Amino acid sequence: MPETAIDTRTEAQVATPWNVVVHNDPVNLMSYVTMVFQKVFGYSRDRATRHMLEVHHLGRSIVWTGSREQAELYVQQLHSYLLQATLEKSEGC
Amino acid sequence: MLIRKWKKKAIEFCRIEQIEAELLRQVPACCDLDEGSKAETRIFPSPTNTTDPDLLRDWDEYVRPELRHLFRSAKETVEEDLGLLKMKVGHLGRFLVPLEHGEPWLNALNQARLILAAKFEFSEAELSTFDLPRTFSQRELVLHQINFYAAIQERIIEILNMGEDHKGPEESR
Repeated sequence: MPETAIDTRTEAQVATPWNVVVHNDPVNLMSYVTMVFQKVFGYSRDRATRHMLEVHHLGRSIVWTGSREQAELYVQQLHSYLLQATLEKSEGC
Repeated sequence: MLIRKWKKKAIEFCRIEQIEAELLRQVPACCDLDEGSKAETRIFPSPTNTTDPDLLRDWDEYVRPELRHLFRSAKETVEEDLGLLKMKVGHLGRFLVPLEHGEPWLNALNQARLILAAKFEFSEAELSTFDLPRTFSQRELVLHQINFYAAIQERIIEILNMGEDHKGPEESR
């Protein structure tokens, strides 16, 4: 008999946006981090550089916000480039 | 050593001196991880700063093996390319890396640098120092090795970005 999966999450839980955060790392080169942001998110050179500088100066940058599933995928991609990235619930939700 | 784009299809490493060849050949070995080491924690960081047992379990089960495979594959690509580097006494070395191997090279060089930095516990200040060493301890020489790999990474990134940003005489450097 086929099983029916029931999603017990509330609408609020499903809709909660998640942030992809990249953390500063003294080893990764600035040019490399910029290149990775362009490749993973398709950002322009300017936007990728802005995020890279935010990571460099402030220690972290929220590089993307959206669904949890997509955020997990982005974190995995960033890890594949050896960047320190985490996902976290967006504040205020 | 000179690193430049070659006929729009490869990265040419040429005029390689003996010491540079030796450092290049050490890249794959530098990518080897000791289990449970600080370096391993850095290469496979947690995907979250909070406690999320489901996420962490899934990450360990599904994502880490994929990452491990990707990192091993990048190391093997570099190892294979380095097999083409033959040094003869009194001659400078040369070998070509296909352009599509550029990313695996960046990845392996990054692994090597991250693992060496974690193993030798270099601080952020030390990693941004480019002064000549006052002593020639193993630690100071490793710092130079990390910076040597960083310089190669910078050059590969420039070459890979050439298609996007430059239409100029890319083979002039």
